[in-house]
Amino acid sequence: MAKVLIPTPLRQFTAKQDSVIAPGATVGEVLASLTTQFPDLRKQLFTDEGKVRSFVNVYLNDEDIRYIGKDAAPTADGDTLSLVPSIAGGAR
Amino acid sequence: MIRIETEPWAAMVAHAQASYPNECCGAMLGTTVSTPDGDTKVVHEAIALQNAFEGAQAARYELRPEDLLASDKAARERHMDLIGIYHSHPDCDAYFSTTDLQNSCPWYSFVVLSIQNGVFHHANSWLPNFDQTEAAKEELTY
Ligand SMILES: [Zn+2]
Repeated sequence: MAKVLIPTPLRQFTAKQDSVIAPGATVGEVLASLTTQFPDLRKQLFTDEGKVRSFVNVYLNDEDIRYIGKDAAPTADGDTLSLVPSIAGGAR
Repeated sequence: MIRIETEPWAAMVAHAQASYPNECCGAMLGTTVSTPDGDTKVVHEAIALQNAFEGAQAARYELRPEDLLASDKAARERHMDLIGIYHSHPDCDAYFSTTDLQNSCPWYSFVVLSIQNGVFHHANSWLPNFDQTEAAKEELTY
């Protein structure tokens, strides 16, 4: 189980909640139960193939899940998951 | 639409001018106010973030996700939301480039400040779509 912090623009898909407690023993399970609770959130976070979208980074507490086992990273009660976009750009 | 209050606006312009001839980037914290004409995002605070692009930064910027995460936390602690991202275009207009679009995220407003010869010239706000193929211009006041 983990608390998932919901970025402002996504709260329209979570009944205005700014965080959601979602069950699951791993990051993958928590995200799956989150998007089962709030199906409209699924399209925001996952591609049609079920992969996390390229602009979405998932952090477990303060760590990027890519470095701690990705979807398989274990979650414990009291953990916080954050959804953080990748942002860059340039004039040319 | 998005309205940037005087203090954060001055901070953003100062940051963009100080970073010239490089691009700067930062986060905008604020609140969303519902009006009969629709929602207005009001920016109360701008946070200058480091341009993490590795290489020449005259026409590129990159935000560290860790910095965005910290900005989001700061917003929550102050009962605000992370509502936008800003960056500058040195000696270029405030358009939303293909590079901007391809590295954007549909969750936020993107304010671009055009800095010409080191001095603020004009700004626009953009709302990129979900597929990163188009950005709509958002009404911006400051
Ligand atoms: Zn740009």
